[in-house]
Amino acid sequence: MGNHIFNEMSDESGFARPHYETFDQWLKGISRETVQVKQTEADLIFRRTGITFSLNGDEGGTERLIPSDLIPRIIHGKEWAHLEKGLVQRVKAINMFLHDVYHQQNILKAGLIPTEHVLANAQFMPMMLGLDLPHHIYAHIAGVDIVRHSDGDFYVLEDNLRVPSGVSYMLSNRLLMMRLFPDLFRRYAVRPVEHYPALLLQTLRSASWVDQPTVVLHTPGRFNSAYFEHAFLAKQMGIELVEGSDLFVRQGHVYMQTTEGPQQVDVIYRRVDDVYMDPLSFEPDSLIGVPGLASVYRQGNVVISNALGTGVADDKSIYPYVPDMIRFYLDETPILNNVQTWQCRKPDELSYVLAHLSQLVVKEVHGAGGYGMLVGPTASKAEIESFAKRLKAHPDNYIAQPTLSLSACPVFVDQGIAPRHIDLRPFVLMGKDTRIVPGGLTRVALREGSLVVNSSQGGGTKDTWVLEDEELL
Amino acid sequence: MLSRVAAQLYWLSRYLERAENMARILEVGQSLALLSSSDNSRAAPDTVSEPLVITDTLAAFEATGRATRSDQVAQFLAWDTDHPSSIFNCIQSCRENARSVRGAMTVEMWECINDTWLELLARKKKNKQPDHPVDSGFFEWIKQRSHLFRGVTFATIQRDQPYHFIRLGTYLERADNTARILSVKTQVEQAESNDLVDDYYRLGAVLRSVSALEAYRDTYRDAIDADRVSELLIFNARVPRSLHFCIDETTYILNQLPQQTGREARKRCANLLTHLKFGSLREVYESGLDNYLEMFVKENIALAESVQTDYLESIA
Repeated sequence: MGNHIFNEMSDESGFARPHYETFDQWLKGISRETVQVKQTEADLIFRRTGITFSLNGDEGGTERLIPSDLIPRIIHGKEWAHLEKGLVQRVKAINMFLHDVYHQQNILKAGLIPTEHVLANAQFMPMMLGLDLPHHIYAHIAGVDIVRHSDGDFYVLEDNLRVPSGVSYMLSNRLLMMRLFPDLFRRYAVRPVEHYPALLLQTLRSASWVDQPTVVLHTPGRFNSAYFEHAFLAKQMGIELVEGSDLFVRQGHVYMQTTEGPQQVDVIYRRVDDVYMDPLSFEPDSLIGVPGLASVYRQGNVVISNALGTGVADDKSIYPYVPDMIRFYLDETPILNNVQTWQCRKPDELSYVLAHLSQLVVKEVHGAGGYGMLVGPTASKAEIESFAKRLKAHPDNYIAQPTLSLSACPVFVDQGIAPRHIDLRPFVLMGKDTRIVPGGLTRVALREGSLVVNSSQGGGTKDTWVLEDEELL
Repeated sequence: MLSRVAAQLYWLSRYLERAENMARILEVGQSLALLSSSDNSRAAPDTVSEPLVITDTLAAFEATGRATRSDQVAQFLAWDTDHPSSIFNCIQSCRENARSVRGAMTVEMWECINDTWLELLARKKKNKQPDHPVDSGFFEWIKQRSHLFRGVTFATIQRDQPYHFIRLGTYLERADNTARILSVKTQVEQAESNDLVDDYYRLGAVLRSVSALEAYRDTYRDAIDADRVSELLIFNARVPRSLHFCIDETTYILNQLPQQTGREARKRCANLLTHLKFGSLREVYESGLDNYLEMFVKENIALAESVQTDYLESIA
């Protein structure tokens, strides 16, 4: 795979790429003091408006800012068009897969995916079998993680179909950049992203057969790390931000308790994991769920978005089969690359992984947020050894991938400007139509050399600019 | 709107009002204590514990083992993190409630509360020494932050349910506070001699603690006496912290809220209003001022409970 790193801003000889030229000129013209003043202003805006992130398990509600870097990540129009097509294709196939595994199970009958992989998967929900969802859509929202490798090509890392977060940072970053550098937006034709909440609301409303559906956003509560985002989105969409205790089930419908009495709820945009949604059907100790919700769902009297049981399609053990799904359901060639994946449950692949641990990234199949993973090239000998023990004890729990050399983009650091690794999370909305706001969230691994971009692990973010096509040379 | 959100707005403003009232009581208490030390004849130990009696926290204070000195009382009521109604805890509860319903208020309102909290934390850091007297600038600051929040609320939020629930919390808390202050202060009054100078300072302090000294002068243009102070703070409909004013406002607010719920709260409120609107000082003295105020506090609590069950509680 090589040690070369693709730099988003400059080419191999260090010159700005065509779509970065204008920015490069601008950057050369501003002083370090200006940058510092703007950075301070940015932090202040974030802190005062409460754009924060609280760490998991931090019950004290300690809040941290997610650092926002002021150098935009710019994607030119043609490149985005390619990405967009690939994303639509991918999410479409995934939705067809979900409908299939909960109905005919043709893909299993065809022998493309081992049956036990799906049916014995912890994310598979038997209660979803035979249940017909409006438009057959399970994943209304997907936050697909994409990285650019040293070959200059994009690879999908994860599909994130459960409760993908980060879109509020995409929106706040844009707001911030427009406030701090309005002149830059005069020089570039940046495609807008601010209408995301409107698109999301439209998508959610179209997910219900009810005429004027009441949509709510279900949050686990203010101690959740993404609570700010839940509140932000609810406000932007003008819908109620509900907690489990605000909702109750009566006579086959879901209601929320309001000052005017009970009001029926038709669509629940939930930011709560499947197992906590209904203490009567799943995790009995859940305090953030709604007792009886699953039975109302089975009756088709409420839409849950994303659907229960969607997680089976973004499980890391299913991920390797997404290109097969695209070929099987759509009879198309996959547009976006999957990352080569070794499944440790297979003995021969496990022994390969064990022999190459120092070169691979090993991930827990059900893990999320960058916890429980090994990044071979940066791990110490001791870390590798202890990880190998865990791996041998539970090979089923792990997959391995080559260490991708995530592309880099310049960021402001204390010493000036330096490249840091980035990824991209576009948000795909699937209702009657599929819509993606141009760009998405660019996450930055702020530590030098680090490949971990998760905000829970010290990552930052950047504004992501997709340029209008005519801007192309 | 969601009952839980309404509840959190209502409680955040109750907590803020409580913090403000606490600051008012302590501020006046401290200036009285200064007065006492300069003139031994008026150095009544009651003055020191008075803020505790008003806020019903004498037992809790004694349980801490602190000495009954004004600086200790102030420390306890202002900063003690174990005391649920200390100014510090009130502001914290206010901010915690605000944090969960940030979406229901304007950015300016949230920033006002959040800034208050951040500065309170900074002040707490400076105030490490437990014996250090709380300076009166602190009380003034708390009052001003509360004023500021009310002003920002008034100026920025649309006149919808969130606004009404915030106001409702303010007035129910305030009515309770005025009744308690009046009750304790006039009890002390009755126990002591009819010294004109004494009256001036003690009753003046009562009036100042509820920002009503000017209103008293404008209304009576005469020396301060206990009957008139009671009359002003119970029956006057133009003084913003009088019982009548608070219940007037509560009545108005309840009428703005959804009418398909809240019948019990409106009924209780109407009853209270009748007493305040058509009552007189003579009636008050017939039942005794103490009894009258005690009844009022009870009825006001019952009203707040109706608001709670009618509008604010999630059933499930």
